[in-house]
Amino acid sequence: MRIFHLSLANLRKGKSATFSLLVLICVASLLLNIGTAIATRMSSFYEDKAEELHDAHVSLVMNSANYKKSYGDYIRFYPGVEEAEMERVILLPTAMLRLNQSDFSIRTAVLNADSVRGIAPLISGGETASGTSGGIYIPHNLKASGYRQGDPFTLTYRNKTYTYPVAGFFESTLMGTTKMAMLKFYLPDNAYRQLSTALGPEAEGILLSAVFENSADSGTLLRDYNKQFPLSNESVDPGFWGADLETAKSSSALIITIIAMIMVAFAAILVLVSLTVIKFRITDHINDEMVNIGVLKAMGYTSAQILASIVLQFLLIAIAGSTAGVACSYAAMPAFSGVISSLAGLLWTHGAHFGTDLGSVGIVVLLVLAVGLLSSRRIRKLHPAEALRGGLMTHNFRRNHLPLDKAKGSLQLVLACKTMLANSRQNLMLGSIITAITFASVFSVVLYYNIAVEQKAFYQMVGAEKPNVGIQVEPGKDSEQLLQQIAQMEGVEKVNLLDYLTTTAEGQRVTTEFSDDYGKLETHTVYEGRYPQYDNEVVITERLAVRLGKSIGDMLKVEIGNTAHAYLITGLKQSFQAGTNGASLTLAGVRHLIPGHKAMTLNVYLKDGASTPNFIRTAKAEYGDVIQSLTDVDESVKSGTEAYTSAVSSVMVVILAITVLVVILILYLVIRTTILKRKKELGILKATGYTSFQLMTQVALSFAPIVIAGIIAGGVLASLYTNSILELLFADAGITHVHFIIPATLVLTLCFAMTGLAYLVSLFVSRRIKRITAYALITE
Amino acid sequence: MRKTLLRTEKLCKSFSSGGIQQHVLKNLDISLMEGDFTVIMGSSGSGKSTLLYALSGMDKPSLGDIHFEDTNLSRLSNDQLAVFRRNNCGFVFQQIYLLDNMSVLDNLLASGLLVNKNKQAVAAKAKQLLIQVGLDEASWGKFPSQLSGGEAQRAGIVRALINSPRIVFADEPTGALNSASSSSVLDVMSGMNRNGQSIVMVTHDIKTALRGNRILYLRDGMIRGDLALEAFDLRHYDMRQTRLTAFLAEMGW
Repeated sequence: MRIFHLSLANLRKGKSATFSLLVLICVASLLLNIGTAIATRMSSFYEDKAEELHDAHVSLVMNSANYKKSYGDYIRFYPGVEEAEMERVILLPTAMLRLNQSDFSIRTAVLNADSVRGIAPLISGGETASGTSGGIYIPHNLKASGYRQGDPFTLTYRNKTYTYPVAGFFESTLMGTTKMAMLKFYLPDNAYRQLSTALGPEAEGILLSAVFENSADSGTLLRDYNKQFPLSNESVDPGFWGADLETAKSSSALIITIIAMIMVAFAAILVLVSLTVIKFRITDHINDEMVNIGVLKAMGYTSAQILASIVLQFLLIAIAGSTAGVACSYAAMPAFSGVISSLAGLLWTHGAHFGTDLGSVGIVVLLVLAVGLLSSRRIRKLHPAEALRGGLMTHNFRRNHLPLDKAKGSLQLVLACKTMLANSRQNLMLGSIITAITFASVFSVVLYYNIAVEQKAFYQMVGAEKPNVGIQVEPGKDSEQLLQQIAQMEGVEKVNLLDYLTTTAEGQRVTTEFSDDYGKLETHTVYEGRYPQYDNEVVITERLAVRLGKSIGDMLKVEIGNTAHAYLITGLKQSFQAGTNGASLTLAGVRHLIPGHKAMTLNVYLKDGASTPNFIRTAKAEYGDVIQSLTDVDESVKSGTEAYTSAVSSVMVVILAITVLVVILILYLVIRTTILKRKKELGILKATGYTSFQLMTQVALSFAPIVIAGIIAGGVLASLYTNSILELLFADAGITHVHFIIPATLVLTLCFAMTGLAYLVSLFVSRRIKRITAYALITE
Repeated sequence: MRKTLLRTEKLCKSFSSGGIQQHVLKNLDISLMEGDFTVIMGSSGSGKSTLLYALSGMDKPSLGDIHFEDTNLSRLSNDQLAVFRRNNCGFVFQQIYLLDNMSVLDNLLASGLLVNKNKQAVAAKAKQLLIQVGLDEASWGKFPSQLSGGEAQRAGIVRALINSPRIVFADEPTGALNSASSSSVLDVMSGMNRNGQSIVMVTHDIKTALRGNRILYLRDGMIRGDLALEAFDLRHYDMRQTRLTAFLAEMGW
């Protein structure tokens, strides 16, 4: 009990230092708890959602005309399938809808809300719904685009618009986000029949769904289906679409996990900052209180008792701070839930997570305990007599840095530098902290710049080609002839064909792109070797190459159904879109696998200044009969990446806000302690005629070099290693080469702003010198 | 005719602690003449140091005025007082208060360079003064903790003199020194005074007080006695001691 009181007395003695540390630990725990809770939940989020919604683990959609009973049977009897279902739907290969005030083209399936189904029943607002409300049910993710119940929702298909009031929202793991390249909607029976009649048999589709006993077993079905039925894929049927839970996870989980990891990493930095502060506070405490420690030892206190009294105060702060942080995380979670829900397309509920809470508090408290014990172990070796004589040891200056009669520069500056050099340990701590938080801030700014402002490097990283207009050619029409015609149109700079199909390479399911001319692409994803130029060449992703033990110069056998062809590997590429298994073939190369196959997607690049809407209008008017859909890619990308940019912006704002907080807290803590420690010295200087402002400047200047050095170090390290860290973070998604632009102006502005902030905070905190008279400074 | 250097008018200083107001100095009217070695004596808690720091502009009076020649110190801001101190005052403290992270020479230059920007000139003056007080070159680069108490206090005196102040304030300058060190420090101060340096010193030591030519006795915040002595001369030491002892006895010392 006496030790507890001793700790409380120590806490009371340094109220502001205690408060600063409490805030730091609170913010660190808040971030740690949110980050950990998200990362933990994310690991099974999709599986849990699929179970909650009784959603399919694998879904396939195809045009009815291409459907065969054997397809349904294959899925029904595939090993591990617990439940399989087939449902008639309206299938629109490219429907247009409004997302975030932009037109967005996407493959769409419309389901009958009144049909009876076992898999993925229509659940809206937590209850099973039907078509009685008369409106359309839309994916929950579209709420982020501003849709509310009762709002009109318009689908545009083949220049005709179909508008329905929004009856409600539902969640879907596979068909609920644009990232999955398929959205489903539910219409009441009447409206469904009317739409079906209006669109005719051409739009009739089949939805095959499968639920596995164990969701982990669902990963092979699509690959095996593809191998089993080579004529049932997107190369034959433009409406064909297939996805499994793993695909859904990789499309969204990665970015969410990365955001969570960034928060955990920043929390780790803050914990590190707190631990460093604790370490230095304990060291200072021992130095300052050495004589008192000697007295306590002489009185009969054991080392363990004295040590406990020091460590206990920091443990109390850690327990209080981390508990407050965990409590605050519950208040902050709704804001993060919104961001995650919009990224995942699924409602992220924020229930209690006591395990994570306990873990967060436990980690922080244990680390504080460990650092506390390690930092104060010196007490054990201290003999009472040595401690009683200890006062002198704390003022053991070995070198007179910058003698005033020889040093260049103004008196204020030289005195500030002398102070700085005399406090190297404290400055090392301050420098390390400033370096760490500058690193984190620059990292977040680079991330923000490349994802939200100048996205070229981001597209390069994810391997997304970004033409101005995308054209989906009507099935059966001559896409190559259309390409020639489009190339002649006014305002067109270049056109190429770029399409995708699924192949198999030595047992691996591979998303394979093919183009007539890779030279016309804007985004070059091949980082080693070159794109395929001839029909017998292929480029593959690095992860696939590693998986198959292949490298440039090796031959790779690619299959579609029963047809196989060997290609020479000419390069390695990365693609977020294709995941870890991706390949690139030439159009001629694909025809070895599917003779006469055509790419049905045209990428159109317009000249600078050319109007995209004008081009779309003209192309529709002139070639409407061969064009299935035209997409304003700029608009679509804008709306499609909205969730990412807003998530990254939020992360950046949070990190910058915390950086400002840390700079203020740390400088407050350090300068306040410095003034207290140097009280007598400042008093002497005041007595000899130094003005308050001179002393304030001196104190502020004594921290300026180390703050500037820390900021430069953090800025340079972040500029050099941000890409390496991103490569590490994205390695699981097959991204091994990141070339994010380091926005020098922005980074420099940030660094200057931090320097300015630090200097102002230093001046502000050192204002307390002004309030104290020379007499009080000396005699107090 | 000697002129008045410092003059107080109804000088009061109070401290408040736990809601209780304590009046330490009460309506003091004092005049200090240029070239005087004034000694302030009194029992513990009589307000000696409070008076010294108020006179020197280190602390502000609660009421009343302090005039340094034509300047009313009570009306100066803290920064103006700092400038006043650097240009006109030197300080010698009982605890010496040299900056422990600086060498002896740097301690002097940190004060000297505030007034004179010429490093060479200030350094030369500091070295000359150090030699005068008996501190040779070997001690100039040492840190205060490496000096004896007497050496450190002599370095403190040089710091007080580095800007050729109009007046030196000394707060029990020998309080922390042994007898030999005390003598050497007091000899330095007497020498300074002989050269015309005005000094105000607080002490409760009779031997130290004997160096002054004017003794002010303070009790309960008021001047109870004012004794004028001739300038210090070792030859008349016994006579001075007798007079001072009698004066102090009268004051109830």
